[in-house]
Amino acid sequence: MWFLLDYSMFLINGFLITVEVTLIGVGLGLILGILAALGDIYGGKIIKIIVNVYVEFFRGSPLIVQLFIFYFTVPYITGLRMDVMMTAILTLALNSGAYQKGYLKGAMEAVFKDQLMAAISLGLPMWKIFLYVVVPQALRIVIPAWSNELASMGKSTTALIVIGVREFLNTGISITAQTFRPLETYAFITIVYFIWIYSMLKALDMLYNRIKIPGLEPVI
Amino acid sequence: MTTILECRELTKVYGKVVAVNNVSLGIDRGETKVIFGPSGSGKSTLLRCLGLLEKPTKGTILFNGTDVYASRQDLNKLRARIGFVFQDPSLFRHLTAIGNVMLGLKHVLGLSDNEARRKAYEALKLVRMEDWANYYPSQLSGGQQQRVGIARAIAMDPEVVLFDEPTAALDVELKWEVITVMKDLAERGTTMLVATHELRFAREVADEMIFMDQGQIIEIGSPDHFFTSPNTERAKKFMAKILG
Repeated sequence: MWFLLDYSMFLINGFLITVEVTLIGVGLGLILGILAALGDIYGGKIIKIIVNVYVEFFRGSPLIVQLFIFYFTVPYITGLRMDVMMTAILTLALNSGAYQKGYLKGAMEAVFKDQLMAAISLGLPMWKIFLYVVVPQALRIVIPAWSNELASMGKSTTALIVIGVREFLNTGISITAQTFRPLETYAFITIVYFIWIYSMLKALDMLYNRIKIPGLEPVI
Repeated sequence: MTTILECRELTKVYGKVVAVNNVSLGIDRGETKVIFGPSGSGKSTLLRCLGLLEKPTKGTILFNGTDVYASRQDLNKLRARIGFVFQDPSLFRHLTAIGNVMLGLKHVLGLSDNEARRKAYEALKLVRMEDWANYYPSQLSGGQQQRVGIARAIAMDPEVVLFDEPTAALDVELKWEVITVMKDLAERGTTMLVATHELRFAREVADEMIFMDQGQIIEIGSPDHFFTSPNTERAKKFMAKILG
């Protein structure tokens, strides 16, 4: 496996790209997920329809197809071309947001109606109720489900190879093409993925244990 | 006396069900009024309308003499001046007892963290919950949670506090924890409108009792009046049932 040292900068670069698109994708997906969940719970009929079309499309079609649509079809229709990284992050964020909406909606609905009524009776405006009552509880409830999303998204970044993003797996393929040593290369790639995803899950576990509150356990 | 909160010919309809039918009543500063009546008589709906948590179908609500809905006042500002204690304590589960009380003080009244903490602690002391300030709702008994709910309402210095059957979900022992606190508040001159079945509490502290049935006010009188000689058959029957 020592021959991989010659490609260390190449590998580090690929790994950092994988980490970057995962974290930004899931982070933006969280914001989209919160907005979509709020829209679905509290929005009017039209907003609910828009949210459901968005969610069903991204949950009901393969990620690779979504990447092709955003890389080839959207620029063809709109005339606006984004670079591969932008396309990758946008697609991952939209995809992740659709899944996170499901977790977050369940968690937000767990903040019972009586608490909302109590908050209204204090004179809190709706946006402060979301900020100080609904979201802090929903985020705590959702962390275990959110761990799955982070792990899944980390692995899904390998699909970015289809639009030419130089992420970690793509780096491994290039090295294999040059060295003809797929066994060691892919074994190394697998070990790094495993350690990275395992560490993220452990970190989220620790975060959950740190901020968890008695009586506020996940319901999903 | 100044009337703080008043409703005139208030009606609330849900679909085909008339929950409150043409009710008029007022609560003066420093007064304690008790609304009682069978379940489904419209007590909670009336209180929720008076607490500006539900808009009446018909009729007017006046706060300090001003028609709340006609004057298009900021409802959130008015709600902050009307305390509301729910049947279920409805505490925010991610906040400690003191955090629950501080939330409105900080984010509605705009007090600083220190000022809100001081005020919240005072309110918790008033309901004898200061030793439990840092406990989460799930670590408190039903009665303790309800007392925190009362502290959360009174910490805002409301002009009137509405209690919607605050002891209904509690067992006998816990009920008295809450009733003792409510009696203290009444003795301190807090303006209170209480929907309850606790007639012993009503007898001790109420200036006036209001009997409701099927969404209407059937009879109004002093506690002595109801305990000795209610006028209507329905009130007589209900008193007899409650007092055994």
